[in-house]
Amino acid sequence: VSTAGDSLETRRVVLGFQDAEDLGPPDLPTEPVPLNMGPSHPAMHGTVRMVLEVEGERISSADIQIGYLHRCFEKESENATWTQIFPYTDRLNYISPMLNNVGYALAVEQLLGIEKKIPERAQFIRVIVGEVSRICDHLTCLGASAMELGAFTVFLYALKAREWLFELLEEVCGARLTSTYCRIGGLAYDLPEGFDAKLRDILARTRIVMSDIGKLLERNRIFRDRMDGIGIITQADALAYGITGPVGRSTGLAYDVRKDHPYLVYDRFDFDVPVGSVGDNFDRYAVRVEEIVQSMRILDQALAQIPAGPVLLQDPRIALPPKSETYNSIEAMIAHFKLIMDGIHVPPGEVYSFTEAGNGELGFYIVSDGTGRPWKCRVRPPCFSATAVLGKVLPGLFIADVVPTFGMINMIGGECDR
Amino acid sequence: MSDSGPTKLSPAQADLRGSPAPEMVTVVIDGQSHQFPKGTVLLEACNAVGAEVPFFCYHAGLSSPAVCRQCLVDVKGQPKPVPSCYTPVADKMEVATKSPRALDVRRQMLEFTLVNHPIDCPICDKAGECLLQKHYFDWDAKFARNDGIKVKKQKVVDVGPHIVLDQERCILCTRCIRVCDEVAQTHQLEMAQRGDREVLTTAPGHKLDNPYSLNTVDVCPVGALTAKDFRFAMRAWELYTMPSVCPGCATGCNIEVQHSRGQVYRLVPRVNPAVNKHWMCDEGRFTYKRAQTERLVAPLSAGMPVDWDRALDDAGRALSAVLASRPNQVGVVFNAQSTNEDLYALARLAFDHLHIGKAYIAGLDQGWHDDILVSADKNPNTAGAMAIGAGRLRSLLDLANDLKAGAVTALIVVGTRGVLGAGDATRTALPLERLQALIAIGTHRDAVVAAAHVALPLAEWTEADGTFTNRLGMVQRVRAAVPAAGDSLPGWEILSHLARKLGATMEYFEAKAVFTEARQKLPFMKEADWGRPMLPVQLRFANSRG
Repeated sequence: VSTAGDSLETRRVVLGFQDAEDLGPPDLPTEPVPLNMGPSHPAMHGTVRMVLEVEGERISSADIQIGYLHRCFEKESENATWTQIFPYTDRLNYISPMLNNVGYALAVEQLLGIEKKIPERAQFIRVIVGEVSRICDHLTCLGASAMELGAFTVFLYALKAREWLFELLEEVCGARLTSTYCRIGGLAYDLPEGFDAKLRDILARTRIVMSDIGKLLERNRIFRDRMDGIGIITQADALAYGITGPVGRSTGLAYDVRKDHPYLVYDRFDFDVPVGSVGDNFDRYAVRVEEIVQSMRILDQALAQIPAGPVLLQDPRIALPPKSETYNSIEAMIAHFKLIMDGIHVPPGEVYSFTEAGNGELGFYIVSDGTGRPWKCRVRPPCFSATAVLGKVLPGLFIADVVPTFGMINMIGGECDR
Repeated sequence: MSDSGPTKLSPAQADLRGSPAPEMVTVVIDGQSHQFPKGTVLLEACNAVGAEVPFFCYHAGLSSPAVCRQCLVDVKGQPKPVPSCYTPVADKMEVATKSPRALDVRRQMLEFTLVNHPIDCPICDKAGECLLQKHYFDWDAKFARNDGIKVKKQKVVDVGPHIVLDQERCILCTRCIRVCDEVAQTHQLEMAQRGDREVLTTAPGHKLDNPYSLNTVDVCPVGALTAKDFRFAMRAWELYTMPSVCPGCATGCNIEVQHSRGQVYRLVPRVNPAVNKHWMCDEGRFTYKRAQTERLVAPLSAGMPVDWDRALDDAGRALSAVLASRPNQVGVVFNAQSTNEDLYALARLAFDHLHIGKAYIAGLDQGWHDDILVSADKNPNTAGAMAIGAGRLRSLLDLANDLKAGAVTALIVVGTRGVLGAGDATRTALPLERLQALIAIGTHRDAVVAAAHVALPLAEWTEADGTFTNRLGMVQRVRAAVPAAGDSLPGWEILSHLARKLGATMEYFEAKAVFTEARQKLPFMKEADWGRPMLPVQLRFANSRG
């Protein structure tokens, strides 16, 4: 689906849809009614509370209250060694933990000044698992949002494909969600045997799934009626709120960290950044569908180019020595001990490092005081600003529109609330 | 450990090292020009200005034999790197601590030291606060190039009543030998054999049993000497540390209370050039044990555990009855074990509010002493108690006589330790059973508490904030490190509650308020400093943060 340049009207004409007659409000006395959605609501796939004020079916104001999944990530990090923070980052955007792992590792590596020394194979693997995670992230968002609009089949299809990918990631790191796969200086371990062939096979099958999903949704009158022209975010708002990622791109902002500030080996791959034209729910859907396609392109190229070699920096001050060394030499034993108990000694300084996560620019602002743990570890969660704009977008919509709009924002509690 | 980090040489310390009016010399260290008093050791000079130089055998409180060769630096004009711990600074000296050659020889020395070092970190008590680990990580960080068989030595040698020696871990720095020679002034340890078979040992038939033997464990840079008391009890890096003062005698050695999860695991000396330098005695190290056993954890009324309200009511009623009818028959017992704050609060209550005339002083008996650190007075705060009592305190012998004569029928005891001592006939003869009201505020379930009509649980020195006045008249701060046992409270707080029951207005809400008031009223506390509030620091991160 190419959405570039289409206006809403042309799109609807092309599809042959007709608007329902707007009869206008009946002439009855009404008064505003407060309505709570969430924090626990079947159609809210995140713990968030929305205090709506409705006039009939129409929303007149919306107060978005986040924080129900606050886990003190940033404060906890100040009491964990640099390496112990990886499990915490898994729980940020828990649909794509690999991307969080990579984002955090890159920030610390930049502070250590070793970003150029990371073995090339590790950089490729980080791209590969990251893009697989991105596909998982988008599949979840699309499937769940479609289900909330009644398209349960789409949900099952999308999650079937996601499950293939999760199983593959499980082979890589031992867990579907709690990956903790990255380390400062590289990766915990290499890819498993036969990963290459398995991923290609899964990608081929996922392409069929994506095609099925497209057929089920894109000419579906119910789906289009509830997506087209609903929840429009203007480009100016996106800029003002600092919205990035698929939501930002749906407004026509062609900002993608992988393209604009390439990290790892992204500058070696040929891929496009899809943008929307209207900034409505359907654009966000379409951008995500296209991003899955682009991620697959990156994966194909990465699998073709990946070199052999180590996946972890060989430096006893940064990476754990191999176990055979640890058990048999005092040097490696001490290095192991110091890394586990004291943590890596990151030189004093501060860094803001950002990557393209599933929902947009995931930033880590880290301050080190030279000890084995961060003095400050701040996260810029991409879906935070996208969730913030809901308070502006929702007024004027129907109550039923909250569900697809919120779904397409893809607020992930773990990431937004930290 | 506090004494193994880099030394910052303050002018006061330089004075103590023997140059009252120092002549200054100019030394260039790593391109930066600095001024030092003449005679300063180069190693101390480098570390004082941040040009860190590693070392094993050097110790700020001991002589330097320059045996470990870990502190080698390049000095311009010298053909070979020189041991900085053995070289005094000289005028116009140019030193390079980070020259490629200096870094390389130090790295090679570390590699050499590690050749025969056992792979013991996981089972070694010193791991986490080990200088060898620290220096390897900071200065070497290369993988082993040698996979030969390590030289085997004796692993568990019982060298003394408090200490176990592991000869394989020893890096032959001789710090422990010098502690015995220079601090304890007894030669109990020695090197034997040569080359890679050289070992630390005691002479046949001799033991490492001097009263300062545990200082060897503190100065040991590795896990060769370990304390039996702390061995395998706790991982060092899990401990939190809090500065405090040893309550073992009137010397008031500065210590760190190292604790975890509400339990104290060890006491180690804290550097104070004016009191204890780097050391403390073995006896002082075990003073924490008493605070963890046989504690009185709840108020008792007529021997039954009750809540605080009930106990204070009962105490107030019993005392009020005697105070109303026979006010001159009420006595109070001060204790030289208490902090200045507890003593001051008691003095306020007894003398200013209740106008009690009969006051006595209790405390532990005199004991053994030496000319090094140990004082004969086994109470940490005799000086403070005497100053606060201001001549009004009489001995326990007088109390015994007053009790026998019926001149005292109600007694408030704040701090029951040493009131009934086994070694002193007059004390065991205290006829406490004759009292109509005995209010005992004590830490332990002892005989005074057993005889008391109302017993109130008192926080120990590891659990309460306060100050002790040592034999030199120095007011030193004691800090609460662990939560108080059971329901026990600091003495000043208990007295504050009791005062309310007796109709006196004496309200204190924190120890600092008592201290501040006492400082205004008592001349000996004029110079005292409460210090800043402090959170316990975990040793794991203490090397680089704190």
